[in-house]
Amino acid sequence: MDDLDQAWERAVDRAVAVVACRERIPCNPCEDACRKGAIVVGEDICAPPRYDPGRCDGCGNCVAMCPGMAVFLLDRSGGGGKARITLPYEMQDAVEEGEEAWALDGAGETLGKGKIVKTAKMLKKDATILVTLEVPEEWSLKVRGLRVRVMSLEALQELEVPLQEEDRLMCRCEEVSSEKARAYVKMGFYSLGALRRFSRIGLGYCQGRFCQTMLASELQAATSRTPEDVGTFRVRPPVRPVKLSRLGGEDD
Amino acid sequence: MTDVLSSEVVVIGGGVIGAATAYFLCKEGAEVMIVEADDLSSGASGACDGFVSLQTKQLGDYLEMARESAQLFPPIVEDLEVDVEYNRCGGLMLARTADQLKELKARAKKLMAAGLEVEILSPSELKERLPEVSKDVKGASFCADDSQVNPYKFTLGLAQKAQEMGAIILKGCKVENIVVTNNRVREVDTSVGSIHSRRVICAAGTGSNQIGKMIIVDIPILPQRGQILVTESRERLLDCIVSGAEYLGTKANLAELMPDGEEALKLGLGFTAEQTASGNILIGSTREFVGFDNNTTPDAINAIAKNAIDFLPWIKDLDVIRSFAGLRPYSPDGLPILGMVKGVKGFYMATGHAGDGISLAPITGKLISELVLDGETSMDIEPFSLYRFK
Repeated sequence: MDDLDQAWERAVDRAVAVVACRERIPCNPCEDACRKGAIVVGEDICAPPRYDPGRCDGCGNCVAMCPGMAVFLLDRSGGGGKARITLPYEMQDAVEEGEEAWALDGAGETLGKGKIVKTAKMLKKDATILVTLEVPEEWSLKVRGLRVRVMSLEALQELEVPLQEEDRLMCRCEEVSSEKARAYVKMGFYSLGALRRFSRIGLGYCQGRFCQTMLASELQAATSRTPEDVGTFRVRPPVRPVKLSRLGGEDD
Repeated sequence: MTDVLSSEVVVIGGGVIGAATAYFLCKEGAEVMIVEADDLSSGASGACDGFVSLQTKQLGDYLEMARESAQLFPPIVEDLEVDVEYNRCGGLMLARTADQLKELKARAKKLMAAGLEVEILSPSELKERLPEVSKDVKGASFCADDSQVNPYKFTLGLAQKAQEMGAIILKGCKVENIVVTNNRVREVDTSVGSIHSRRVICAAGTGSNQIGKMIIVDIPILPQRGQILVTESRERLLDCIVSGAEYLGTKANLAELMPDGEEALKLGLGFTAEQTASGNILIGSTREFVGFDNNTTPDAINAIAKNAIDFLPWIKDLDVIRSFAGLRPYSPDGLPILGMVKGVKGFYMATGHAGDGISLAPITGKLISELVLDGETSMDIEPFSLYRFK
């Protein structure tokens, strides 16, 4: 029986740590965190921790201490097809007991909704909060993370305020909005060149690569003229921005 | 358009001169119509920098007129709805040789005698106004009266204000003929119809020659091409308008200040730099006679860039995003042609300002308005008569 099977069995009665670290990396805070000596890394700091679930009292120190967030607590004692998973949570937003949260797997994919049943700050100087999430038992060994504020996903869509017309930029280089552009067109310009000079639309770094057609069509519409009649911006060298030193013949 | 149009005064040309003239006429309550073949500031006023420079003006009557004009800027700027980005920033003229500096010193004395605020700066004094200027610069003259303005916005602002006071602006409207009977202007025939008017002002810039032909008067205006580079927009790098002594040389035809080298002479190369309100630096410029070709050319672009780096080495790291060329209405002596013509009553000329249209627009508008409405002017415009060339 490996440590995972042992932990699974022990979790029927109580919370117990599941150590999911299999990496050969120089890391051993879990060893120091465990007051029961259940986790041992040993002389070779790169060795994966050796874990004895039989000694674990489910204190959760290792969960808070593991910088790789590779340890969680599993508690199946509640029964009813539910399991409680205790995970480290390092985001700044408030986590409220009783709220719903999304349970995520190791790839960050959403497994489904769980319920936050407990939050705890384990170590005084550590910002890490331990969040205990109640989930269907079959997710027990898949849950590796959570996303709080279930509502925020829906709320996010509501928060997506439709872009206001006055904010929509026609000329990004000179930051002139479409609304402002139309106001310029209404001033009664006849030529695209004059409209460009006064509005500064198309006078910026890109010289009108993006905004020219938009401005031209506004002018066409306002003056009931054809694209040919309204014409285009006059293209002048250097067409693309070029360092003055290159024009001055200093660089090759 | 089938309506028969009429107006007390018709202004031909929607550039800065036409707009300023319409503005002053409207101030006096005149009924004005501006006839523009394309759109406002589509000619020289739309393809220039914003220098309102006094220290570059030819001494004498012309400087006197420019000074009057400069004094008209603040009240006009105050009066316009449009922010024309007027900035009394002062102007530097840089000398790269001891001879040039000597010339600038002599000139400064004369400018001061004429009432301008001018000082000669040593290289160390210059560094305070223009850090990181080339070590080759031997000194400079600084004129506190020099300023800058956005030429398009100034033109638009004047035209808009005139419009507000009742002026009608016809855009895309080409003048085809001017009808003269009994030695008096009667009518202006345009692509959109005829306009009855007994007073017509030619503010057509480089198109003035063409307009003159319609009344069988030779208005000797040649298009003079000026090419300018535009850099990317940057934080404030220039606090004042800057030019090189050669700029004055090519402008005022001063042999002592002409540029060195055959190509520079051919291009009429003179250094100018101005940072606009939008942060772009306009770098000039050339004075070329190539007919109505207003393309920019690789030779000139390279020469302008190299010349600029010689004065301001740091400028080499800026990106150039555009070049442009404007055709300036150049008269045989480079000075404007103002006033009436013999034998055709009601025809007035306000043209030939070459590269000084922006700075001379206020005084030109004011004087021509006076001439049209009162028959006399508050300043003598005789020195700028068409007949000085004969």
